[in-house]
Amino acid sequence: MDLFFWEIARASGLAAYAALCISVLSGLAPRTQALSFLANNRAVRALHDWTPWIVIPAAAVHIVALLLDATARIGILDVFVPFLTSYGQLAIGLGTISLDLLVVVLVTTWLRRRFSNNAWQWWHRVSYLGFGTMFLHSMLSGTDLTSPVIAALSWAAGIGIAYYALERLGKALNPARIRA
Amino acid sequence: MKANSPTLPPIPARTGPDRPKKRSGPVPAWGLKLGGLLTTFGVFVSSLGYANAHLYVTTAPLQPATVAAVATTGTTAATSASTATAVPSTATTTTTTLTSAVRTTTQPAVTVTKKS
Repeated sequence: MDLFFWEIARASGLAAYAALCISVLSGLAPRTQALSFLANNRAVRALHDWTPWIVIPAAAVHIVALLLDATARIGILDVFVPFLTSYGQLAIGLGTISLDLLVVVLVTTWLRRRFSNNAWQWWHRVSYLGFGTMFLHSMLSGTDLTSPVIAALSWAAGIGIAYYALERLGKALNPARIRA
Repeated sequence: MKANSPTLPPIPARTGPDRPKKRSGPVPAWGLKLGGLLTTFGVFVSSLGYANAHLYVTTAPLQPATVAAVATTGTTAATSASTATAVPSTATTTTTTLTSAVRTTTQPAVTVTKKS
């Protein structure tokens, strides 16, 4: 039974990574035209607003499976407080931080109307940090990333998102935009 | 050689409401959502298959210390019993040392060795 939870934890971890990639990419796409070959901005925005429905279940299954896996020895406290585990403190702690940041982004998004648009945008930018920590978590702790194919796909997704994030940053810092 | 027709002036870029819009892909929002769902689910299923086929990855970056829990096999040889005892190492490393011991038994033999 323990191996079952271990397999589920590994698979759901990769699924959560894929879901978060879709979420971040669809958030970047309206300004960078990253998905313009697929759909217009309205549809991409609808996808981005919907992605919590795939990110949350995948992350939840990953965490619950690790909690139930006796070998992993992850406690409830380890889920929310980083760097407490008896092994792999950095690798697992980065995953904890990414979960905390994901919760922050989701809660502030649901409470968006209570924030000014500017304040909410700053809170939402935390998602870049969250994705970065999740990427490092997957690279440092991912058992299946020892497979060249899975590693290549994961790196490609990470590099693609980093590229569009930098393009987005460049457009945000563009003087023409400030003038407008 | 002289050109037969005069050089045309460059076509000015159209601006304003007339400007041709950049074409976007035809996939509707529900199609993108379905694609996202299927992608995530596909990654989950294929990863599950991979994890099932590669249960023990010796090169995995994280190697949690395993608790020494060796199940008793219950098999008894005719004249001897072989047991494996897992001894957790006392050092900070996570390795487990296995030692074996062969002992005689008083139980009746279940196999017969042919004598010449």
